[in-house]
Amino acid sequence: MKRSRLPALTTLLLLVFFYLPIAVLIVNSFNASRFGGAWEGFTLDWYARLFRERSVWLAVRNTALIAVGATLASVILGTLAAFALHRFDTRLQRAHYLLMYAPLVVPDLLMGISLLLFFVAAGFRLGLFTVFLAHTTFCISYVAMVVLARLQDFDESLLEAARDLGADAWTATRRVLLPLLAPGIAAGGLLAFTLSIDDFVITFFVSGPGSTTLPVRIYSMIKHSRHLPMINALSAILMIVTFGAAWASRRIGERNAA
Amino acid sequence: MKPHWSLLTACGLAALALAGCGPRRPTLHIYTWADYIKPELLEAFERENRCRVVIDTFDSNEAMYAKIKAGATGYDLLMPSSYMVKLLRDQNLIQPLRREWLNNLAHVDPDYLKKAMDPAMEYSVPYMITNTGIAWLSDRIENVEPSWAVFGRADLKGRMTMLNDMRETLGAALKFLGHSLNTRDERELAAARDVVIGWKRNLAKFENEQYKTGLASGEFLLVHGYSGDILQAREENDRIVFAVPREGTSISCDDLVIPATARQVELAHRFIDFLLRPEVAAENSDFIGYLAPNKDAYPLMSEKLRNDPAVFLPPEIAERSEIIGDVGDALSLYTRMWDEIKAAE
Repeated sequence: MKRSRLPALTTLLLLVFFYLPIAVLIVNSFNASRFGGAWEGFTLDWYARLFRERSVWLAVRNTALIAVGATLASVILGTLAAFALHRFDTRLQRAHYLLMYAPLVVPDLLMGISLLLFFVAAGFRLGLFTVFLAHTTFCISYVAMVVLARLQDFDESLLEAARDLGADAWTATRRVLLPLLAPGIAAGGLLAFTLSIDDFVITFFVSGPGSTTLPVRIYSMIKHSRHLPMINALSAILMIVTFGAAWASRRIGERNAA
Repeated sequence: MKPHWSLLTACGLAALALAGCGPRRPTLHIYTWADYIKPELLEAFERENRCRVVIDTFDSNEAMYAKIKAGATGYDLLMPSSYMVKLLRDQNLIQPLRREWLNNLAHVDPDYLKKAMDPAMEYSVPYMITNTGIAWLSDRIENVEPSWAVFGRADLKGRMTMLNDMRETLGAALKFLGHSLNTRDERELAAARDVVIGWKRNLAKFENEQYKTGLASGEFLLVHGYSGDILQAREENDRIVFAVPREGTSISCDDLVIPATARQVELAHRFIDFLLRPEVAAENSDFIGYLAPNKDAYPLMSEKLRNDPAVFLPPEIAERSEIIGDVGDALSLYTRMWDEIKAAE
């Protein structure tokens, strides 16, 4: 019997749909045209300009600092929250679950404005720290949900077996629970990292002097700048770094498994 | 290997400590549009005043206003458009300027100030001017008259756009009829409405963003647009011609203001004064492509910029052009007329 071509075709279309825009963007970063409508010749000019543009690099630095910080904080807090939600089934934890879930559905605009009003009322000085707090706040929820899903599939008897074999609670957690949860925690962390990197609405409101992040900068450039294709160049670099990091983390994963 | 690492750590800590001990330079925080100051000028200012300048960016006047109004502090200088300056001032969100710290105010173009919303420069100093006008593809259509009447041309039906902006488009019709674009007279407005309804039959749509790319790619043949946008499109397609209709047009200006909560008030004044220097204003204009209303800077600007009608309005047209100002209660009249235009077939 001949196998259907349909799955292969669907996969192909899906891949094209995912990656064609990225390919177009990378090609356009070498396009002399500013609107990218037509090919007007090869240029490295946008890259040259990008490397001279101090404020863009400041935005890159801010974005990276906040994304790394918010990811670390939300991975720790989100994982702990997931443990609590999984282990206890009390009224308090049900309320906790609801509070954890809410940021996933609350509109960004509402969250941004309310956080700004809160920070101002509490006398915080707006800046990198307030952006970090805001990002951690919504990232915790995503991490907690991902880790919680992983916990629900977790076989408790493995922990009991470890205890039977003489491991104390800490050793059992460290040697059995955490390694089994690690893919969930890593997935949650990656999700938090990407959400933090591209958040615009909340960041716009809670950022202060000197803490403009890349998305905020890009939005302003779209409206006003004559050097927009610099962003294509920056995105191309970002893409290569991201792919490189994903590849490296896989290699590390494989080596550890071996 | 171990001593090696601890040595490195010690060095790192020492470096951090040293960096922390140096005399702290004051930092000027500017909240503005992206790419709105020439970077080399910022560096010159930093050297001259032994300070740091940090730029943060917004993407619309309204978003910036929402943030400042909610209580965001720490910015020392803002660059909103004139109409937003008025709102900020009414809400006491900006402070009066200290003239004794501004030595270069004399360079500001008095012809512009006559039209400005803050002619005495009590709260704001004009930074960059833009205007609206018409742009078309010279290889696709011929004999275009630089007049608002062009939107009545039936042979361009479906290939023209006007701005989706009540004040701009009604303003164009008011200018066409020889009225002020800040009129509060209901009869003049009704006449302008009928003119726009007549034009609407020939338009593809009212459009604020995509008209740039639409013109550059030839989808539209003639558009009503902002000079800054047209300049961008023209870098792309050199067949684009820009003109300001002879009946006059609207001018808009971004101003320099100091928020009420600024920490570096004196440094902010010094920065305003720096931008007002004719040689700085000229260099900045050449870089951004907008016009700094600085009469002593005009002769220093590049030939290209000075001969560009998208930047420099010919004096007789400048005479007939106006800034879109506050119309008070008549605003509801404008809204009504605009709704009727939108509803018209």
